[in-house]
Order: sequence, then C-alpha cells, then structure tokens
Amino acid sequence: MALLQISEPGQTAEPHQRRLAVGIDLGTTNSLVATVRSAEALTLADESGRHLLPSVVRYGVDAIEVGEAAIEHAVNDPSNTIVSVKRLMGRAAEDLISLGKSSPYTFSTSESSVPKIHTRSGDVSAVEVSAEILKTLKARAEATLGDELIGAVITVPAYFDDAQRQATKDAARLAGLNVLRLLNEPTAAAVAYGLDSGQEGIIAIYDLGGGTFDISILRLRQGVFEVLATGGDSALGGDDFDHAIAEWILLQAGYEAVPGASLVRLLIREARSAKEQLATTESVDIAIETDDLKWQGTLTQLQMRELIEPLINKTIMACRRALRDADVTAEEVLEVVMVGGSTRTQVVREKVGGFFKREPLVSIDPDKVVAVGAALQADVLAGNKPDDEMLLLDVIPLSLAIETMGGLAEKIVYRNTPIPVAKAQEFTTYKDGQTAMAVHVVQGERELVDDCRSLARFELRGFPPHVAGAARIRVTYQVDADGLLTVSARELTSGVEASVDVKPSYGLTDSEIETMLRDSMDHASDDMHLRMLREQQVEAERVVEALDAALQTDGEQLLSATERSNIDQARQQLVEVSAGDDSDAIKTAIKQLEGACEDYVARRMNSNIRNAMQGHSVDEYAGKDQE
Amino acid sequence: MATDILTCNFFELFDVPVAYELDFDQVQQRYRDLQKIVHPDKFVNASDQDKRLSMQQTSRINEAFNTLRQPVDRAIYLLKLKGVDTVQENSTTMDAAFLMEQIEMREALSEIHSAEDPLAELDRFSAQIKTSMQGLMQNFSECYAQEKLEKAQELIKKMQFMQKAGKEVDELSAKIEDELY
Repeated sequence: MALLQISEPGQTAEPHQRRLAVGIDLGTTNSLVATVRSAEALTLADESGRHLLPSVVRYGVDAIEVGEAAIEHAVNDPSNTIVSVKRLMGRAAEDLISLGKSSPYTFSTSESSVPKIHTRSGDVSAVEVSAEILKTLKARAEATLGDELIGAVITVPAYFDDAQRQATKDAARLAGLNVLRLLNEPTAAAVAYGLDSGQEGIIAIYDLGGGTFDISILRLRQGVFEVLATGGDSALGGDDFDHAIAEWILLQAGYEAVPGASLVRLLIREARSAKEQLATTESVDIAIETDDLKWQGTLTQLQMRELIEPLINKTIMACRRALRDADVTAEEVLEVVMVGGSTRTQVVREKVGGFFKREPLVSIDPDKVVAVGAALQADVLAGNKPDDEMLLLDVIPLSLAIETMGGLAEKIVYRNTPIPVAKAQEFTTYKDGQTAMAVHVVQGERELVDDCRSLARFELRGFPPHVAGAARIRVTYQVDADGLLTVSARELTSGVEASVDVKPSYGLTDSEIETMLRDSMDHASDDMHLRMLREQQVEAERVVEALDAALQTDGEQLLSATERSNIDQARQQLVEVSAGDDSDAIKTAIKQLEGACEDYVARRMNSNIRNAMQGHSVDEYAGKDQE
Repeated sequence: MATDILTCNFFELFDVPVAYELDFDQVQQRYRDLQKIVHPDKFVNASDQDKRLSMQQTSRINEAFNTLRQPVDRAIYLLKLKGVDTVQENSTTMDAAFLMEQIEMREALSEIHSAEDPLAELDRFSAQIKTSMQGLMQNFSECYAQEKLEKAQELIKKMQFMQKAGKEVDELSAKIEDELY
C-alpha cells in the first residue's frame, strides 16, 4: 500500500530489518549476483572466491551442474552441456535452426511449441536451463547473506523483445525468485556509474556482451535516468568474434569437412583464449592437436582486427542510429560507458572512442557493472531507501504493431516510447455481417508482418453483425514497466471484449510453469505453506501499519463516517485473520481491506498531485530539502 | 480543480498554458516531478490495485509527454481540445505550390543514390526540412492564437507532409549507412 505511505516518508522507514534484495546479471557467457551492503553495491563470490558464474549448465548422469563444474564438460559432453543459453531465450524452433550452424544440441519440438534441447535427463527448454543458473545465484546470495531474498532485479538486454523478456521472467519464477523489475542492462550500467560520479547530461552506454549488443542514450538529471533511445542487436556479441577466429583457424588449417561438435567447442575455446590474450599482447601462438586436426600458427592483432572489424562496424552503425533516434549529436554526449567483457578488446575501444570522439569510461569492471547497477536498483525497489531520488525511466526498444489487411504491420506503439504506456487504435470490419475479428500482435520495425516478430494471436468474437465499416473495434496495447505487453480488444457499439497477456508462443504457458513449480516443490510443500503464511502475515502487518499512518494524517478530512466505519471493519477483520494460520484467508482479507480503501487511496493520490501541481515541489512535499 | 491525472488535459497536467508555444524545460521538469510520484517503481511493494493505478497514471503522463513534445501531435491535440478532429477531417484543401514543392523533393530523394555524396546531400535535405517545419510551426502558433482554426488545420496537413519527408530522409540515411558498412 505504498500509495497510503507516500506522504509519510518518515514513517515508512520504520525500523524493520533491511529487506534483502539482489541484482542479477543473467549473461550469455557469465552471470553474477550483487547486493547492497553497508551502502555499497558488491558482487557476491562463491565459496572458492569466484564472482563470475559461467552461464553453463550440464545435465550430468546423476546431477545438474552449473558454472565451472559444467564448463569442464563443454568439450567432452557437448550435447548435454548447454552454453550461451541466453541466445535461445524466447526463440522459436525455426530461429534456432538459423542460429544453429555451430550448435551441438539436438532440438525436439514439444507440444507447446517451445523448442527443447534433448539431453540425457530429458528435454529441457531455454527457460529451464536459465532457471538453473538463477537458482545457483539465488542459493549463493542466500548462503552469503544468511536469509531469504524478498526479490531480485534481473537485467535483460535493452534490445530484448517481448518474447525474450517474458522468457526471462518465466525463468526467474521457475527459480523461485520474486522479480522486482526487469531492468535493461545499459540502464543498470548507467546507474552504477551515475551514482558514483553524480554527473548530469547525456550519456551513451555501449554494451557488448558475449551474445548481445546494446546501445542506449540516456539523459541523467536530478537523479532521474531517462532513456532517450536504445538500439542494438540481440544476436551479436563476443561469441561472434570467437566464431570468426575459429573459422579463420579452420581456413588456415585447410580443414574442409564439417567439424564435429567437440572440435567446434575446442576451437572456440582456443579462439576465445587467443582473443583475450590479444587484449594485452601483439600476437599469440595457437596450437591445435586433436585426432581430427593438427595445426599451429600465429594470430596477430592486425589479423584479428581484420576478422572482427565488420562485426564492430555493425555496432557503430547502431550507435549512429540511436543518436539519431535520441535527436542528439555525438558531440553532445558527455560520457561513453563501456559494458560487457567484449569491450576489453582493444579494437572495440578504439572504434567506439573514435566514433564518439572521446575516451570511453572503463573504471568499473565491465563484467560487473551491470550487476552492481541492478543491485542498487533492487535496494531502492525493496524499499530500503524510501527517500531516494533515483528513478529510471525506460523505453520500449522495438515498435509494437498489429496486422492489418494485406499482411501489413500497423504500428501502435513506436519504439523509444517511454514505458509504461497505453495506446489505443480503432479498427473496423471489412465484410458485411462480420461478427468476429482476428487480432495478430507483432513486434518490429518492418512494414510487412512476415518480417516482424509474431507475439500473439487472438480473436474477438460474438459482436453483433454490422455492415462493413460500421463496427468499431478498439484495440488497446498496454506495456508495463518491465516492458511486457497486454492487448485487449473491445467492440464499442456492443461492448464485447477480449484480451490476452502476451505470452509469446515461444515462452511457457502459465500451466506449464505451475506444473514445473509444483514438481520441484512437492517434497518441500510443507515449507512452502509456512513460508506463504509468513509472507501473508508480514504483508498484512505492513498494510495495517500503512493504513493507520495514513488515517492519522488525513482520515478525518478525506473520509465520511460511513466510509471510515467500512474501512475500520475491514481492518479489524484482517487483524483477526492474520492471527490464524490460513494464508488464503489473510490474502482475501487484505484484498477486502484494499477494496474498502479504493476511493480513499485515489483521493489521497489526487490530493498529492494537487499539491505538486500547485507549485509545491515534490521534494518539499516529501519533507525533504530542495535541490 | 481538474487535476486528476487520468482526466485533466495534457497542458493542465504539465502546468503549462494551453498554447502551441511551449516552455519545454518546464515540461521536462514537470515530467520528472510527476514520475517521481506515480512511477510503478514507487509501488513495487504495493497492492495490485495501487500498482494498476500507478501504471495507468504513468501511462497517461507518458502519453501526454509524448504528445506535447512532438510538434505535429501537439498541434493535433490542441485542435482536438477545440473540438476539431484533424485525423477524421480529410476535406482540407492543400495549396498547389506546396504540393509541387513536395513532389519535387520526392523526386530529388528518389535520385539521391546517384549523387556524389548522398549522405551530405541527405543532411542538406534534413536541414531544409527542419527550417520549413519551423516556419510551419510558427504559422500554426499564430493561427491557433487567433482562432483561425481552418488555416491551422491546413498547416497541420503540411507539417504532416514535412514530418513524413523527414522520416524518409532518416530511413534513406540509414539504408545508405547500411550499404557503407
């Protein structure tokens, strides 16, 4: 009931213990977890002191291994060892085939159309594999911090589409994490830098990870991070550098057959190691010795530059476009922040520095900066810093459209629109007597539906027949703060409605997630009940506290006697029920109290806005010093 | 006082006079101030009902901000406040000279590929469009203030032409950049 609390910042900071929340960078190559401790955001290490968890999952004979333990098997057990799973998130089977030139996995198409990877422990989806990585990080955090987490901020590439975001959120749910927010990686990096330097102005974030590239242009002012434009490529990253080098080795060695999965993994490992060494040296010797291939040679800086330059040029082009979308020039950019392990490569730094005509910032470890920023945001969202000014205003990366006659995509929400956003558009029927309409939701910039990403299809049925062109169908797109879409359609003359949460056809259905959760929790169900009860009791306490504080401030002015007595009654009911052990009953009582407070909440909100509109500054209103 | 976020008009919401000329710094400042109160990030631990309200209000603030900052959308919205629906209204006549200019510009654009330095040429177009747009905006502002709504509508049509041309120039630039890299 934060609405009830907003005018009492002093009272919201009641001395309850710190709410543990973490930021998680779920990366293509490596993943990290970070949290704020003693006012500082730090990444957490495993028991051997390693911060980076390789994003590798192996479905072994008796157990699932994640991270270093799994990585050792990438070469000798490639089909059961899943690497770079992030590239498969939210993708359809046909996308995977095109990605799969070097893929060692066997895909099986399941009934729910989610492509699954065939392993010795059965078929697994990308969401399930990602959930294993998240579980490992969650366990690491809980072991280090000594308590359960109330939630996590999970980062995604800014350029992720709706399907990819939804898949990420599904993976978190499957891992038992409460997602406070999906946060765009570049925005997270800006937070990590922005809070340190306290700068104001235009910032460019260049984020080149293992498998994704993002460029974001932000305006930073008065603690508000406003994303102006974002762009990139969700299938371009350092992995592609490795592939380019591996292909070069094959070419040099005169190897003409199609290399097997083991050989590919080995070559990529060698390529990556060579690339990493070339960050600090001029040339590196490579020696490959397998049954298939014996070769040794030298890769120079210059040679590598030639191999990867076309890839880097693609990223520079995206930078140019993002600047144009943001309507700023390269000269106006105050700082360029480098994020992602691949920005360690010299050529990348040179090219980016050259384009923006300034030395890029690299002072925070590019592998950790995203997790650090996510942890800072998680700390704010968890409510640990009620007076904090920081606010992140993000945008939708790709336009959302609807299919119209002739297979054309008509844009309803344009890319780079700030989120959350709701947009409605009216359509009509084209045939006499038509009583149903198909709605096909797509995402992308292209004009033809076939060139865009299909997100969902549904039908609005059963409206009364009209002559062609007389029915009025209003289709509303609502994008929430995580960048996730809900679409609804309504025939205005009859009021017939239909709506869908856009669960992409490639994600998991709700029932699939539930089944998986239930399977994994069957043995732990007693714990679960206790935990749910405790959660509901804590929630009830918070609701009552907030309400009491609010009533004390303005209950008299804003409520009639009847309304007050209704609220008091619902409050009493909640207090009584929370003493018991029925979590569902507590939940219902909370809902009832909230229902009774609905008008009161709206009135308080409006009175807050009124105060802000009357020229009182928001800061003053929140009882804080003005800037 | 009509200050309900969900019902008041966009100008009231941003506390600026209902006019085409806009103090954009003030709009941005108000945008940040309003977001600091209603953004969903402030309601992460709130009830579903509060979350929904926050999302609706933030969506509306974003819609208002987007409308006010875009020259054509702002003009259309101003006329809508006067009861004129520019989107539905197709009867407006365009002056022939303007249409001729548009046709010539399209022709020049379609031949841009063969130009010596197409990107520089496109930059020139872009600057030219910006200047024309500013002239139209100035005109609209005056017409609106003087309640010459029919003339104002015609100016919106011209602005829409210009905006479309600007978009085409941007797309062409992007395409040529693609070919260069």
